[in-house]
Amino acid sequence: MAGRAPLAGIRIADFTWVWAGPHCTLQLAHLGAEVIRVETATRICVTRMLPPFAKFQPGPNRSGYFNQYNQGKKSVALDLKRPEGLEVAKQLCAISDVVVENFAAGVMDRMGLGYEVLRPLRPDLIMIALSGYGATGPDCHKVSYGPAQVPLSGFSSVTGYRGHPPMHIGISYGDPTGGLHGAVAVLAALLHRAKTGRGQYIDLSQWETTMALLPEALLAQTMNGAPPERDGNRDPHMAPHGAFRAAGDDDRWVALAVEDDAQWARLASLLGDAAPAGDRRFATLAARKANEDALEALVAGWVSQRSPEDAVEALQAAGIPAFVAARNRDLADDPHLDARGYFVALEHPEVGALKHCGVPWRMSASDSRVRAPAPCLGQHTDQVLREVCGYGEDDLARLRAANVLV
Amino acid sequence: MTGPLDGYRILEVGTGVGAAYATKLLADLGADVVKIEPPGSGDPVRRRGPFPGGVPHPEKSGLFLYLNANKRGITLDLQRRRGHEVLERLAAEADLLVHDVHPTAMAAHGLDWDRLSAASPRLVMTSIAPFGLTGPHAHWRATDLVSWSAGGLSTLNGDPARPDLPPLKAFGDQSGFQAGLNAAIPSLAALFARLASGRGEHVEVSVQESLAGILELTFEFWPYCGLVASRLGAKPIQPLCFVECRDGWIFVCCVEEHQWKAFAEIMGNPEWAEMEIFANRLARGANFDALHIFLSEYCATRSVAELYEEAQARRVPFAPVSTMGDLLASEHLKARGFFATLEHPVAGTVTVPGRPYVFSATPWAIRRPAPLLGQHTAEVLEGLGLDPVALAAEGAV
Repeated sequence: MAGRAPLAGIRIADFTWVWAGPHCTLQLAHLGAEVIRVETATRICVTRMLPPFAKFQPGPNRSGYFNQYNQGKKSVALDLKRPEGLEVAKQLCAISDVVVENFAAGVMDRMGLGYEVLRPLRPDLIMIALSGYGATGPDCHKVSYGPAQVPLSGFSSVTGYRGHPPMHIGISYGDPTGGLHGAVAVLAALLHRAKTGRGQYIDLSQWETTMALLPEALLAQTMNGAPPERDGNRDPHMAPHGAFRAAGDDDRWVALAVEDDAQWARLASLLGDAAPAGDRRFATLAARKANEDALEALVAGWVSQRSPEDAVEALQAAGIPAFVAARNRDLADDPHLDARGYFVALEHPEVGALKHCGVPWRMSASDSRVRAPAPCLGQHTDQVLREVCGYGEDDLARLRAANVLV
Repeated sequence: MTGPLDGYRILEVGTGVGAAYATKLLADLGADVVKIEPPGSGDPVRRRGPFPGGVPHPEKSGLFLYLNANKRGITLDLQRRRGHEVLERLAAEADLLVHDVHPTAMAAHGLDWDRLSAASPRLVMTSIAPFGLTGPHAHWRATDLVSWSAGGLSTLNGDPARPDLPPLKAFGDQSGFQAGLNAAIPSLAALFARLASGRGEHVEVSVQESLAGILELTFEFWPYCGLVASRLGAKPIQPLCFVECRDGWIFVCCVEEHQWKAFAEIMGNPEWAEMEIFANRLARGANFDALHIFLSEYCATRSVAELYEEAQARRVPFAPVSTMGDLLASEHLKARGFFATLEHPVAGTVTVPGRPYVFSATPWAIRRPAPLLGQHTAEVLEGLGLDPVALAAEGAV
């Protein structure tokens, strides 16, 4: 909608890199905060150097990974290893509402940008650190990598096919999970500040935010002394519940779930003679769980004779939850997502107008959207130093000559 | 000490993890959340485990106890007109209402935005729906597995050596948790916007879009390079893999060359590590089958904890494949006070995942256990000047 942006007038000094921190500030940018990335070519953000690069041509401004998670932000190039650079960063923090960073514990302190340094410059500052292990504790100086958070947090030990080794879950799940929890924390702290005038420091551990999403496994252990076994796509409370290969030879699958006996009755009538009405093997959830292999074989046979789209249409028409196991291209071509205007393709100076994922929520009165493509490295250095920090041309020339704005 | 959201009044009509996790995030930060459940059966989450001893009991569901601590609970029959009237009265006193009732059932449950906002212009209402409230699939149904697939996540997980095995979901109702996170954010933003505007608004959250937005670098391979991602593609860079030690599994993680060199040193610089087929991370990826055999032979002689510590001491980001027992025993998590304990009148003492963040001024806190079914019905209704006995006689609560 065309109203005011919820975070209009809120400025974020963004020292984040890789994915967790950028995912946090992405949400705040969607909500209209002025997010100013402080970054440097001397230690370039990891995702700027990772594929996919537009048309396979590498370059720090051409990565789809970076450009997805930094939409709507500004970029200031600043070498924080130089004292003049540090001064600029401090000044930016002093006129920001929120400072966000996701370095390992202690790095901001060592750079001279710790909370105790910044708070006197801005007494109501909100600062959040999204580190892998948290800011305290005996393991806080361990090295955390996104892919390693999944096994560390416990997800891998309970994710996998029955009787097979532990599995990854396909993404560095601690990163977006940490980032989203971080955005919740920042917004709560902003509401608190609006009421009391007080800021605060927030210590977020990606490990802990990821475990927050694993209560069923952790409580199985605390209540009964044993974790759940890896069980593929099956569910203790629903059957059938799985992904089944569709017709064709291009690895396309249909995910479906039967939540109750009524849905089972409707699925049975789709299956036809293969699942005669009143077949006692499948009449109740307990019976379906007891005969799940046979049940899955019936469903697999039915799905294997249909295109994934036809199978899903038939299942959804019968009120049964189902969807193709979507690949990236399937999402990009999804008419429903298109009709909802989910994707955005804003003109980027180096990659042009390519499709990116947009905002997963809509607000009826507030202006919430992707406001700009991801910034090129240092694209807003001059603008931010002039208009936000109030530097004159002489200051800019001096900093540029000292090789600070890189 | 109080939470940052002290004083905010929130209603939840939860049918799954999504709305319940969104409001849990807010309740744990001090908001007063009243959960509305159908009389008799209660929230369907009460029927999901784990249960002590594996015996189902509506007051002992581990998932329910976790999601609903810090909330009060009332019963209200939203299938009846009288229930809708009570909901309107509750909404008039609330700042935010969060629900995940399916879009096709919203009107029947009294979740009519035009009516609620006309009566309570300051109300924010957040609707979580599998495919959003608009578009050709808005009426489609989904569960976690289906949403995880519709958002593109299940096709990111598979075993390249076993194309016969299906795309794989992550453990637990992760679609619900992600939806809850993506609902809490705009809900809080709408409350922040209201400070200036004085008016509430309607927020809708699509579970599918919430998941499509966390595909890491996979989605952009299509628009940027025209490449369709495959779950069966081998990882180009290795080792980034699970290897079995003598007492469990470890995640071997060498992204940079110096990390591989450090790991080779830990292994005693074996001859095989010098072979041309393992010369760099891409070569190790191309020859992963052979690499994995060597790594498995080595790790079988080591304990997870020793190898993890030795790698970390050299700044190599290995991680243990933590079991639930490992997590509960972690000295680090103990020192940080991560796990929390609930004292529940029926389920007893229950240890749950605790605070996901540490606020310096307004701490995250557990103040009360999850409500018994209808525990606060009388208290909440009397607070509105309604007669709970009469409403009970009508069958509305």
